[in-house]
Amino acid sequence: MKVMIVEDEMLLAMELESEVELAGHRVTGLAMSRDQARLELAAERPDFAFVDIHLQDGPTGIDIGRELAEAGIPYVFVSGNIRKIPADYAGALGAIEKPYTMNGMKNALSYISAIISGDDSLEPPASLVLAEDVAVGSRS
Amino acid sequence: MTDRDQKQTDARNAGDRLVLGHVSEDPFAAAFKATRMPMIVTDPNQDDNPVIFCNAAFLRLTGYSDEDVIGRNCRFLQGPDTDPDTVTKIRDAIDVGEDVAADILNYRRDGSTFWNAVFISPVRDESGKIIYFFASQLDFTNVKSREADMAAARHKAEEEVATQTANLRAALSARSLLVHEVDHRVKNNLLTMASIVKMQARVTKDESNKRTLMSVLNRIEALSTVQRKLFTLDDVSKFDISDFIRELVTDLVGATGRRDIRLALDLEPVHVPAVKATPLSLIVNELVGDAVMRGLDDGGGEIHVRVRRPNGHYVITVEDTSVPVAVDPERAEFSKMLLEASALQLGARIERKFENGRTIVEVKLLVDGNQEHAH
Repeated sequence: MKVMIVEDEMLLAMELESEVELAGHRVTGLAMSRDQARLELAAERPDFAFVDIHLQDGPTGIDIGRELAEAGIPYVFVSGNIRKIPADYAGALGAIEKPYTMNGMKNALSYISAIISGDDSLEPPASLVLAEDVAVGSRS
Repeated sequence: MTDRDQKQTDARNAGDRLVLGHVSEDPFAAAFKATRMPMIVTDPNQDDNPVIFCNAAFLRLTGYSDEDVIGRNCRFLQGPDTDPDTVTKIRDAIDVGEDVAADILNYRRDGSTFWNAVFISPVRDESGKIIYFFASQLDFTNVKSREADMAAARHKAEEEVATQTANLRAALSARSLLVHEVDHRVKNNLLTMASIVKMQARVTKDESNKRTLMSVLNRIEALSTVQRKLFTLDDVSKFDISDFIRELVTDLVGATGRRDIRLALDLEPVHVPAVKATPLSLIVNELVGDAVMRGLDDGGGEIHVRVRRPNGHYVITVEDTSVPVAVDPERAEFSKMLLEASALQLGARIERKFENGRTIVEVKLLVDGNQEHAH
């Protein structure tokens, strides 16, 4: 699948890019701010995106997330503070909490790529907090 | 004779008539004159309802002489700070001939003030006509000033509390901002460290070096997982070791992609002091990592992780069915060092045994009350 990475720490973004490519996917672009993310989106539509909340221009990851959701592009937040995510999860599938481990990211990526290709037989990994679970949790 | 003199004479005559109405031994008149309660009598049938009689206590209270008082309406007691509404209330009661009690600020002859609890009552003759007003005074300045002092003190205390509360709120919000900022930085730094090691491992061609880097990465990532699990419980001084183990083990086994390594988790929530989180997590990481590694070499097996808290102690058991195999001595030495250091740090006992083809490692952590509350 084609993956966009929105992350303001270039080192982390590049490392994640390697991880994504190793798993057999293609990275459409890296963005460190909202404007860069919009440009990348306009240039090529990804099948999926990783979105950090805090970008170079503030907590604009949430805005990018909502724009992705409107465009029908599935995404997950990747953040050190997943409690800052709005209650509706801004249309995200879920969140991966930093600092994620290599195994945690690998497992999350396999699960997401299966879901996006229509295979929902896999168990969600511990490293991925699903938005639907959070919603159920807050209702109970 | 001036108008004022005439009035005073009329008033005094009325007062004399009042007194003369009683024989000199009249105990009521004597009491009236002698009482320490300041009292006056006014005559509403004369122009402007003048005072026709006052007792010595009244003169003492107000500092006026009998000459000053007789023939005047008692409004001479009022001054600039007397509440006009109270004056109106008293006047209205007198106009309709009713009793009235009021607290009023009055002025002495020397201009000093006193708080006067005045009570005024009409006196009627047999036909019911009002012939006098009787007024008693009570100086309650002391009470009033105590009240004022208390009110002022209360006000000051309330202000103080409000200021302190605002300061505390500001300090708390600054502190919580700082804690979040530091937590965020620690998380970011851990991930950055891990990314640097991963990058190095990726570009390294030598397999042995690559293994070493991945071994370092594995321990950094154990710390990353600890950091993620800190501050998630309501009691931020505690750390749920079971929650940590669940995530560590499922991620580790999940990432191997090996279906022949089966996992059985028997984890009750066990909250350990946060200060123990790092060494305890490193121990678990070594034990589980070792079991998974042998499972990979051996062709699978079952890994059973159990966390219990009998008698207030913590017991973590890692049991696996993989056959013990010879491992890389360098790797084994490093793992042993980490286990020993962490066990010493915690005062934990680690027992390893082999039974019926199973490797059973038990970590026993005796809870020391002092350590429990050390941080």
